[in-house]
Amino acid sequence: MTQPEGAAGTRESATGAIYDLGYQRYDGPRLGRRAAVATLFWASLRAAYALKRSGRAKIVPWGLAALLMAPAGVSVAVAALVPGAPQPFTYDDYLWNTQILLAIFVAAQAPELVSSDQRNRVLSLYFSHALERSDYALAKLGALAAAIFGLTLAPMLVLFIGRVLLAADVVDAFGNELEHLPKVILTPLIYAIPLAALSLAIAAYTPRRAYATGAIIAVFIVTAAIGGILGEAITTGPLGDLSQLLNPMVPIDGTRNWLVGESIPDSPVSETGFPLYLFGLEWLAIALIGTAVVLWRYRRVAA
Amino acid sequence: MPLIEAKALTKRYGAHVTALDGLTLDVEPGIIGLVGANGAGKSTFIKILLGLLGPTSGAASVMGLDVTRQGPQIRQFVGYLPEHDCLPPDLSATDFVSHMGRMSGLPATAARERTAEVLRHVGLYEERYRPIGGYSTGMKQRVKLAQALVHDPKLLLLDEPTNGLDPSGRDEMLALVKRTGTEFGIATVVASHLLGEIERVCTFLLAIDNGKLLRAAPIASFTERTGTLGVEVEDGADALAARLSAHGLDARVEGRTVLVDAPDERPYDLVRDAIDELALSLVRLEHRRHRLEDLFRAEAPQ
Repeated sequence: MTQPEGAAGTRESATGAIYDLGYQRYDGPRLGRRAAVATLFWASLRAAYALKRSGRAKIVPWGLAALLMAPAGVSVAVAALVPGAPQPFTYDDYLWNTQILLAIFVAAQAPELVSSDQRNRVLSLYFSHALERSDYALAKLGALAAAIFGLTLAPMLVLFIGRVLLAADVVDAFGNELEHLPKVILTPLIYAIPLAALSLAIAAYTPRRAYATGAIIAVFIVTAAIGGILGEAITTGPLGDLSQLLNPMVPIDGTRNWLVGESIPDSPVSETGFPLYLFGLEWLAIALIGTAVVLWRYRRVAA
Repeated sequence: MPLIEAKALTKRYGAHVTALDGLTLDVEPGIIGLVGANGAGKSTFIKILLGLLGPTSGAASVMGLDVTRQGPQIRQFVGYLPEHDCLPPDLSATDFVSHMGRMSGLPATAARERTAEVLRHVGLYEERYRPIGGYSTGMKQRVKLAQALVHDPKLLLLDEPTNGLDPSGRDEMLALVKRTGTEFGIATVVASHLLGEIERVCTFLLAIDNGKLLRAAPIASFTERTGTLGVEVEDGADALAARLSAHGLDARVEGRTVLVDAPDERPYDLVRDAIDELALSLVRLEHRRHRLEDLFRAEAPQ
């Protein structure tokens, strides 16, 4: 009599008992719009670094991060092996010298954040959740700016930590380097904000990732080339100087120079001789217009 | 408080296209079918309820909240299944549905737990960890339903939920919709151009045509018996009709079917005897019901 029961029990434990819990109601908290925006921000930041994505998707952001860190690492290593050797990089010129890597990063990752939502029409799901269209735009913008900030802060911190730890007197060196800390933190921020606004303003306009990447790269390379050619051809005079302002990296460097640092020898900023606040104004214009364009785009885009 | 209320809701695209034309209606909870031909304004209506589109004029509210001013509050309690594709191919169903749960305001742990429950509810098991890009259409529709359900909405808006599914996929999706609506009491709006589907799952019907409300009523009133008997025979429908007319019945031929007015029991025996005497092969004998199609057919000439 007990055998069927026992057999059933065995079968149950062999396969693991399956209970149909099915659909259940949810009475817990609903955190609303603010939580939705935070979720989108963090998810987009992870996407910018390709975390939890395939290995293939990681190649570009991780490769660029490694390339961006390499000079800082080498610089620290040289200082460790050859005490007193001249420092190849300063806090002022590190990001200026690696700017091409930053341009490639935003060209690759700004479309990653927004193009696929449009192409796969995930956008209509986002817009039918607990947030507004402007929230989506600002969350994406914030995530891209944060991603660029993190990417550029890392090598600056490596330089900073290297200088402190390799000094003869660590405590003393920390005290000395501490005055540079605002520069270490603000320089990446000065790069991150306009780069995010500019690249997202371009990427938001097309669901085709390749087009967006090409357009962003073109903005940086073409404007730099125009500035270079006109600067050479018209060595002096306002036109040659003004053409330097086309390249968005120039006002970024000018603003950095204006607010937190020294000028870089032979850079467009020092060669034009414009008052530094002019670069600050252009920096602000890029950040504001870029943000406005992104907001406007997401107000209008069909979902 | 009505679930959905629309007052003189109008949506125009440009100067010439009017998708909704002074739509006024009042919907109580239930499984509501929203039927109309393609382009009748179903998707436009749903998108206005979600705040995805702004109305040109008029007003609408969901659960007493105004659609143009209180979008985020409404959307927190609404699940939406769009008629088009809306899934990122590189994420797994688990990651995506859980992300969407958090986008609706669920805390992280709750989103994870409910994702597991809801994916089981729609019938996705091991495959839920694989990227959505490799799913069949049927599986994708299930993921779309799961993301609409993950935050336990008070209102589900399903736009053509059986789009692109094969017949068995359709049956399963409709069964899921019906189960979700009846067992769990989630108010559901199912937009479809297929009247047969609406008949199978819905309790209430909204018929719209050219952006106007054609009719709003419980589904039973559309499909009640008509008092007409349909007799389908292999051959000899004409002979059968003639024989029945001779007995004083009102009989007319429609293809292989003879339609007989049957106000009482008497015609049943006469039909049986007539078929027997004429030695016809009887295919089908049924009560004719109103068909939802008749609704549109009758109104079409206007």
